[in-house]
Amino acid sequence: MSIEWIEQVLQLTVQMGTVYLLASLGEIYAERSGVLNLGLEGMMLMGAATSFMFTLAYGHLSAILTSIIVGALMGLILSILVVDMKLNQVVVGLAMTMLGAGLSGFFTFPEVRKNLLLRLNPSLPEEVLLIQQAQKLPEIQIPLLSNIPVIGKMFFSHNLLVYFSFILSIAMWFILFKTRIGLTIRSVGENPSMADSLGVNVYMVRRMTVILSGVFASLAGAYFFIGFHPFWREGVTAGRGFIALALVILATWSPMRAILGAYLFGGVETFQYRLQLFGLGAQSPYFLAMLPYILTIMTLIIISTESIKKRIGAPASLGIPYAREE
Amino acid sequence: MNGNTDSNVLNKKFSRRKFLGVTKATAIGGVIAAGVIGGVAGYLAGSTSAPTVVKTQPGVPTTITQPVTKTVTTTASVPVARKLRVGYIYVGPVGDYGWSYGHDRGRRWADERFGVNQVESTYIESVPEAEVSGAITSLVEKGYELIITTSFGFMDPTAEAAQKYPDRYFVHISGYKSGAAGNAPENMSAAFAEFYQLYYLNGLAAGAVTETGVVGYVGAYPIPEVVRHINAFVLGANYAYKKRTGKNIKAHVSWIFEWVAPEKARSAAIALVEEKNCDVLAFTEDTPAVLQVAEEYQKKGRKVWSFSHYSDMREYGPTAHLTGQIANWGPIYLDFYRMVATNSWQTADIWTRIGDYMPYRWRLPPEKSTAGKPEGTVYLAPLNPVIPSEWQLEIKKKYEEMKELIFEPFSVEGNLGEPIRDQNGEVRIKNGERADHDTLWNMDWHVEYIEEPLPR
Repeated sequence: MSIEWIEQVLQLTVQMGTVYLLASLGEIYAERSGVLNLGLEGMMLMGAATSFMFTLAYGHLSAILTSIIVGALMGLILSILVVDMKLNQVVVGLAMTMLGAGLSGFFTFPEVRKNLLLRLNPSLPEEVLLIQQAQKLPEIQIPLLSNIPVIGKMFFSHNLLVYFSFILSIAMWFILFKTRIGLTIRSVGENPSMADSLGVNVYMVRRMTVILSGVFASLAGAYFFIGFHPFWREGVTAGRGFIALALVILATWSPMRAILGAYLFGGVETFQYRLQLFGLGAQSPYFLAMLPYILTIMTLIIISTESIKKRIGAPASLGIPYAREE
Repeated sequence: MNGNTDSNVLNKKFSRRKFLGVTKATAIGGVIAAGVIGGVAGYLAGSTSAPTVVKTQPGVPTTITQPVTKTVTTTASVPVARKLRVGYIYVGPVGDYGWSYGHDRGRRWADERFGVNQVESTYIESVPEAEVSGAITSLVEKGYELIITTSFGFMDPTAEAAQKYPDRYFVHISGYKSGAAGNAPENMSAAFAEFYQLYYLNGLAAGAVTETGVVGYVGAYPIPEVVRHINAFVLGANYAYKKRTGKNIKAHVSWIFEWVAPEKARSAAIALVEEKNCDVLAFTEDTPAVLQVAEEYQKKGRKVWSFSHYSDMREYGPTAHLTGQIANWGPIYLDFYRMVATNSWQTADIWTRIGDYMPYRWRLPPEKSTAGKPEGTVYLAPLNPVIPSEWQLEIKKKYEEMKELIFEPFSVEGNLGEPIRDQNGEVRIKNGERADHDTLWNMDWHVEYIEEPLPR
């Protein structure tokens, strides 16, 4: 096991883990404010489909921007349904997953895709219209820093969205735990009526966090497509939105711990094929893949004990729609 | 088609048509009037779109009524003109690159060759294996006569449906149950387009270009089909590499336990290249993921090669693409269309290889070989010029020989005269032996050149 080997495994771990990291960051905010966004998978799919289409039509920048807009729209729909109309968050969330899966499949169905692409950019050459891959985001090596042994490859030899996820996870941890805005969000998730009586606009806070979770889920989908493996197929994210949901619990609703959790999930996914080549793991391929979930369940058990619950437990009013008592 | 069973179904569902059939058999003069009544009956039976078609029994005059006020009448001496109705059931979405997409391409191919005016085909996509019975029933109820199910998991429900609806015809892809094999009713056939010979040729190309002497394979599931493809590939690679250098090839296999999972295939491919220094990667996974990885390495200046699988995937790896295996299911479907349309059904267990369904089945000299061109049901993707010319000739020679089944990969000739041994050193194919159907169909051992044990 040479240094290069470790460097490479770490680099691939970060590449894979960024999908989970981005998706879970937004979800943490939504859940901290008391809204469970189960539509993560559908929003990721919409983001991936949008990034696919727009990368073909206008390139990467437009792809990232449009997937942010699409994610915000998906978040907005969800927020109207669960925050304003106070519908059951589990049912609506699952419906959003199906909506996203269906819409993304429809817009990218060969015939529909061809027409849409021509509408978007009539000057596209014929062979692009039916292809199922797009240009991958270029890697940007950060000079000097990327030459540092071990961590150089892990942190400084990636594409733009990965760097973005590093900065965001730290910034979002800071906002959530060290600023007034974060305090407001957390108070809304713990005790919305108390927050309301203190003059916090509970609905607005929840709307914003849900839209944010839509944006991040969509970005995660866009990253998965143009940043990780640029081949389109229906349902391309293959359930990774639900893994991100498990990750939020594993990270106990903290953006900082989400980094570790995301790389744990990512690492296991990368590592399992390497392990096979050492003659391990092929007999029971799901054993390794199962480990992060066992950790998640253990986390759930640990945080459900009374003493720990008070410190790092789930937001007290998670999943409960807030109705103001007049 | 048996007239008796046919009238049974008419009796059940289209009683007016039965009446119609009887009148027409007696008086040709009533044909046009019958056509009108038949049109009404067809309309009532739920056929919505134009043109309305009257299905009749063989040996009697046929009427086709079209909304465009045009009535065509033929008699028995002229080929029967009726619109064949074919329903397909796919396990995945057709908008995809993979397996179901390939079948849908086959459907369109067969429709076109049969004549789009002669056949009305439809499909139901993304059918979960548990729900296939319902899908078959709905096609039967809508009057589809030939029903083609295209996933292994659809086999038993298809066989049950064949039992239940003896007046319809069923074709199941990738299974082993058919009337011909004796484990299903006579109105069911089985078919599969087999790739192991092409994998062997891919292996020859791999052995001819590898510099590290290590080849890799990203496998879907450790089932006999994939195992024999891996073995064929590795045998071919060893043949070429040993002939070139005198050394045995080394081969590694990484399993992803999915049929369609590009991101997993990607991780597995990278692991093979980085861990074991493989520089040629073959795969069984329905997307070009492995080829895309190879292409990325090529762009970074590292020579890694890969192949096409099921479809021509060259555009996903223009540099890294060596050759590959391509399937066209169309000719198989067309065959069944013709059987049903002409009432000449014969149950069959079809396992197509190189040479089957080809217009010209004799072997050609290597320099005139059609290797790399579309033909038959399974054929080789275009050969990359980086394969040295003497090996291109060798590949073409073997491709042509396989058209007449002269050369068999699973024989000592396919292994440079050596008996084929498994990983325990046990001889599996002896001198003078050729693998037969059952050996291939049930293969559960790896050839000796593969380093990882076969998971079981």
